[in-house]
Order: sequence, then structure tokens, then C-alpha cells
Amino acid sequence: MLLIQTSIGTGYDLSNSVFSPDGRNFQVEYAVKAVENGGTSVGIRCKDGVVLAVEKIITSKLLKPGANKRISTVDRHVGIVSSGLAPDGRHFVSRARDEASSWRGIYKGPIPVSALANRLGGYVQAYTLYSSVRPFGVTSIMGGWDSEAELAVDGQGYYGAATGKGRQAAKAELEKLDLASEKLSLHDAVKEAARIIYVAHEDNKDKEFELEMSWISSLDGPTQGRHEEVPKELLEEAERAAKRALEGDDEEEDEGAKGTGNVGERMEE
Amino acid sequence: MNHFPGTWGRPRDDVYGPYDSSYLQTTGPKTHTQSPAVTGTSVIAVKFKGGVAIAADNLASYGSLARFTDVKRLRKFGDAAVIGFSGDVSDMQYIDRLLESIDIRENYSAHGNQLNAKNLHTYLSKVLYKRRSDFNPLWNHILVAGFDSEKKPFLSSADLLGTTFSAPHLATGFGAHLAIPILRRLFPEERSIEEISKEEAVSALKDCLKVLWYRDARSMDKYSLALITQDGIEVHEDQQIEAQNWAFAESIKGYGAQTV
Amino acid sequence: MTSLLSHNPHTNSIGYSFAQPTNAGNTEHSYTDNGGSVLGITGKDFAVLAGDTRSTSGYNINSRYVPKVFKIGGEDETGKDAHILLSVVGFAADGLALKERLDAVVKMYKYQHGKPMGVRACAQRLSTILYQKRFFPYYVQAILAGLDEEGKGALYGYDPVGSYEREQCRSAGAASSLIMPFLDNQVNLKNQYIPGSGEGHALAARKPEPMSRETVEQLVRDAFTSAVERHIEVGDGLQMLVITANGIEEIYHPLKKD
Repeated sequence: MLLIQTSIGTGYDLSNSVFSPDGRNFQVEYAVKAVENGGTSVGIRCKDGVVLAVEKIITSKLLKPGANKRISTVDRHVGIVSSGLAPDGRHFVSRARDEASSWRGIYKGPIPVSALANRLGGYVQAYTLYSSVRPFGVTSIMGGWDSEAELAVDGQGYYGAATGKGRQAAKAELEKLDLASEKLSLHDAVKEAARIIYVAHEDNKDKEFELEMSWISSLDGPTQGRHEEVPKELLEEAERAAKRALEGDDEEEDEGAKGTGNVGERMEE
Repeated sequence: MNHFPGTWGRPRDDVYGPYDSSYLQTTGPKTHTQSPAVTGTSVIAVKFKGGVAIAADNLASYGSLARFTDVKRLRKFGDAAVIGFSGDVSDMQYIDRLLESIDIRENYSAHGNQLNAKNLHTYLSKVLYKRRSDFNPLWNHILVAGFDSEKKPFLSSADLLGTTFSAPHLATGFGAHLAIPILRRLFPEERSIEEISKEEAVSALKDCLKVLWYRDARSMDKYSLALITQDGIEVHEDQQIEAQNWAFAESIKGYGAQTV
Repeated sequence: MTSLLSHNPHTNSIGYSFAQPTNAGNTEHSYTDNGGSVLGITGKDFAVLAGDTRSTSGYNINSRYVPKVFKIGGEDETGKDAHILLSVVGFAADGLALKERLDAVVKMYKYQHGKPMGVRACAQRLSTILYQKRFFPYYVQAILAGLDEEGKGALYGYDPVGSYEREQCRSAGAASSLIMPFLDNQVNLKNQYIPGSGEGHALAARKPEPMSRETVEQLVRDAFTSAVERHIEVGDGLQMLVITANGIEEIYHPLKKD
């Protein structure tokens, strides 16, 4: 593997679906690179809902606050956040919306989140197979609520997920939350998500960003099973708490956090 | 059994005569969309100061059979409007799904649903008109209640032919005969909507529902009533018609006017 | 072994309930008559188009205010800067659909040619639109009004499938058989002769002269108040639109609501 450090000039990266002799698919790897530079996204699944959050990098001073959303509603009960190339993310969301609405057309009811994740997994995978297309330059996190909360990337259910530039730090933080025990409440998850985005932003400090968050609660919760933006007051409260936690952590940060970096690195295996 | 699989299971012509396939009706257009099957009766509605009240009973009839007794014929559209359906129940459910898909699309963006009751009525009347023009009508008469773009109370009707009209009080089906005269007497044109309170509107609708229950054989005494005001939509489902008094029934002869 | 039945094949004789003659595509169930009447009269430099505002289905009054006269080619839903009027009476849903189509056509004409569509062109276009649906017609009697190239009042009357002609006056709808003869007599002065001008064939007919706007408006009001007395589908309100070189003016008069 070390013999070919780079794919440049080998010719194995010129088309989709071409493997290099040592079993790598360079086009897919380039797509992953595109994501690596995107703003960090996280998703948290907790006992009474799902939270999605993204570090939206401000690419221009001319951008209006709140414009160019990175979190999208797919159906009443499903939302998607993506890191990477924004247009690819929008196309992905558009496909997700078509799938969700076609499911409704056939079954007269909402699509289960796992079924939607499966269909989209198939769609994304198909974009690695043909020379006429290129792979998606995004990694997306889908959150939704049907009978049970489900957080999914590429058809797999997760307790928590992170993508984008700061994903390693974010994943380390997510693992500390002990999400599997389902003890975290939705409100706390909102605050954690905000904090994690701020932690992950340490990797991208030279750029300004805007925190964007959405949530889906259980049917008896604040959003009644719908995917909605986190209300402004709550978002600002979470943002303040995140900044406070970060300032408090600064001293310990130097020794502590750095070692835990590559735990849970699935996307790059 | 012979070795012609095509004839297996078929009555023998020499015993039963040639098979009469006329009922299969392989030619000619579809006919089952040309009449309603399971139907809901009247919907009634009135405008009042600051809003609209609308009501319909919970019955779905199959001809003269009281087939379903817990059908909700008032449907909310976001927090913009309430639509009352009379006529075919399966067509109502189809329109309801249509509205649901619009609501989902409208909510892709976070500003939420921008459509008001007037927009919705325009849209639905065009759906109904298109379907009648395709000779495949949606067998409904609907009332749309809510607000227009100037935040004024809005109430309008659309039927299976795409005909539309608006008035301070409206009723479909039997209600057009029985409820409208009551509402016109209670709320004459000279009386502006600004003088009609919410309570008065609700009590008028309840009176109308009671008369309909007494006199419309396809009605029932369980109903839904919705109030649309600037504060939002309240839908009261599974209400019961109170203070029924059937004493008058004994004395009725013929169509009611007869005295001997 | 041969059954009796084979000699008496029971074809065509079984009354399956679901094999009834079909009526799909039968336009009988595709229309309703919403009643009401409209009338138009032209003058030297103006045209008036008026209609009652009652909407009916059978013996029911649907509403006391459903306008039947529309401004065509306006900039917004208030009809600002419109220069053509259309009235439609018959099946209201078709009427509305027809009005919206013509309105779109007149707007497109303005966007594409950079000038407003003339009434003469609009009249021909309306005929084409109606004739395109010759075999599933818009069930309406339409009247189109505006000012012609010379600024004179122009009025065009139509049948449901697009046959049309320019006229001085025209009434359509439920009470047209009551109003039209009145108009013949009062506008075109039919059966009016100059007293003492002669005997028999020598008796000279009165020649129609252009009427003032006030006279025309009074004529319209009289026509409708009379029609209301004699026709149950006419009443509630009178909507009158007057088009002059200065634009369109809308006048409303209450009518009897019985």
C-alpha cells in the first residue's frame, strides 16, 4: 500500500468504478476529501428525540444570517444535514424528498426512517458505479422519528454521528455521552450538540461559522414527531452554554482531549 | 379435463350454452367514478367577528345504510384553514392526501406554510374543475373556512363541477335547504359580520345541526365543530347534539303542513 | 345428454346490475345552470356591461354576490389598467375558466407585443377559444365590450361555441328573453314610428341615435328592475361596469332579494 502514496498520474483515478491494483477506489476517496473540508455536522439520538446540528462556515461576508440552510426537511418526520459540497447535498435532499413522497403515494403513510435511509444508501452507492457520474461530495446524517428514534447514515442506525472537518473531535465527544443508555434528554441533547459543534470548530478556527440546529421530538414532545428548526431562544441558550463550556475547558484541553482523536472513525476505513 | 388448458374450468358450451361475457364489459369507458358510494351529508358554516365557524356530523352513509359513524369530515390544513367535505368519502380522503402532500412541500422551507384559506380554495376548485372536465369528477361539495391575505375571515364553497361561490353563511347538501333559511333569519344581510359573536355563531350552527338531525335521514347526532380565529384553529370532535326533543314528531302528518 | 339450455342459449338476457348502459363522457352531469342575466349597451364613446350578482342552483340561492362581469387584461386582481370587459352567464365554473383564459391571453399579448390588445383582436381570439371546445363547450353566453380603434364603444355577443357578431346592444342569460325585446325597442327603436309621418307603409320608423351615458345607465337599471320582477333567478344586486377613454368605472345598485 505504501508503494503508491498518491493516485496522481497512475490513471486509476480517471473514472468512477475503477479499482487500483491494491484495491482502492480513488474517486470515492476524493469525494471523502471533499467532505473532510466541509463544516462539521453532528446528529444525536436520545430517548425522546433526535437533534441535528451543523457548523455552517460563512464563505462570504455578503451572506445574510440564516441564509443557505444546511439542514433540510425531507418529510414531516425526517431531516437531513450534510457536510461537503452544498449543491450535492441539495440534490441528495431532493432525492430523499422524492422517495419520501413516493412512499406516501403508495402506502398512504409516512416512510419509516430506516427504509428511507436504505433507499438513499442505494442511491448514493449507485453514484460510485458509472463513468457518467461522480460520487456525492457529501456525507449526510439523517434523523427522523417513526415508532422509534432512528439516526442513520448509509442505512445504518446510529446513536450519534458526525461528519465534516471536525468529525474526529465530535465523535470523541459523542462517545462520552453514553447515548446507548438512552439517559440523555432531548433538551440536553440540543445543548450537547451545540457544544460539540463548538468543540469541533477548534479544527477550523480561522473561519467564521453559524450554528444551525434542528430537532425531532417524540409525539408527546415539543415538536410532536415533526422535524423543525430548534426555536431561536433555545438555540441561543445552547450557544451561550457551549461558549461557556469551551472557555472553562480551555485549560484542561491542552492535556486531555487530543489523544482520543481517532476512536470511531468509520467513514474512512 | 382435456388437453386444452384454455378451456379448463369453463362451463361446457354444449351443456350450459355459450358463455355470456357481456358483464365483463370490455369496451366503453369506466363508469364506477360516475356516482358516489359512501357519502357524508351537509356541512354548514358561518362567519363571525374575527373568524369562521364550521360544522359537520360524523356519519358516512352507504346509500341509506348508516355505514360509518365516526368519520371526521372537517380537516385542518396547517393552521391556515379548515375544509369541510360532503359527498364521497373516498374522494375526501384522496383530497386530504393531496393537501397533506402540499403541506409537506410547503414546510420544506422553515418559514412554514404561507398558503391561506383563499389560496387553498382557489387550488381545490381548480382540482375539482379539472376532474369534472376529464369526466372523472371528485364527488364532493366542500366548504373552505379560514382567512384571506388581508386577514379577513374567509368562507367559500366549491362543488364537484368546479362551481364556486362565497357568502357570509354557507351550507352544502340538505343544509342548503334547511340550515340556510335559519342562518339567514338569524344573521340577515343588514347585520354586519362585526356584530356576530363567536358564541352566537356556534349556537346557530348547533341549532342548524339539530334541525338537520331531526329532518335529514342521512344525518346523525354526533358531530365535529371547528372555530378558526386569529388565535388559531380549535376543532371539537365527537360532539353530541344536546337537548333533543322528539315530541313534535308524533304530531307531524304528511310533509308537516297537513293538520288533519 | 344435451341440455335443453344448449337450444336456448341465455345470451343478452341477463340483467347484471353492473352492466347498465354507461353514461361516462355524457356531458349531462358536467354542467349546471347558475342563472342570472347580463346586458351590454354601447354609446358613442363608451360601453356599458352589466349583470345581476345572484348565483343560483335550481331553486337555491347560492350567494347574493357573485359577479358575472370581469375586467380583462388588468395588471393585478383588481383589474387595474384593464381596457376590455367580459361578461359570462350560464355555467359559472366554465365562465370563470373562460375569463381566466382570456385574461391570460390578453396579458401575454401585451408582454409579447408591447402594446395592449385591441378589442377587435380580442373578440376574434375569444371566438377561437370557445370554438376549440366545440365538442365539450364552455356552457356560457359571453359578451365582450371595449372601445374600438376610433374610440367608439364596441360590443360583441357570442354563443357558447364561438359564433359572434358586433352589436349595439345585447342581453344574455336567464332573463334575456325579457330584456332583449325591451332593448330592441328602447335602443334600436324597433316598432317605433314618427307620429303623423304617413299612412301604412309610408309611416316612417324612428331612427336610432347615439344615446348619452345617463340614458343608457337608466335603461340598464330599468331592464334589471323589471327582469327581477318576472324572473326568479335574477336579483340581489346589479353590477355595472362602464368603460370610457378614462378607464373603467364600477357601479353597484341593490336589487330586490326576493
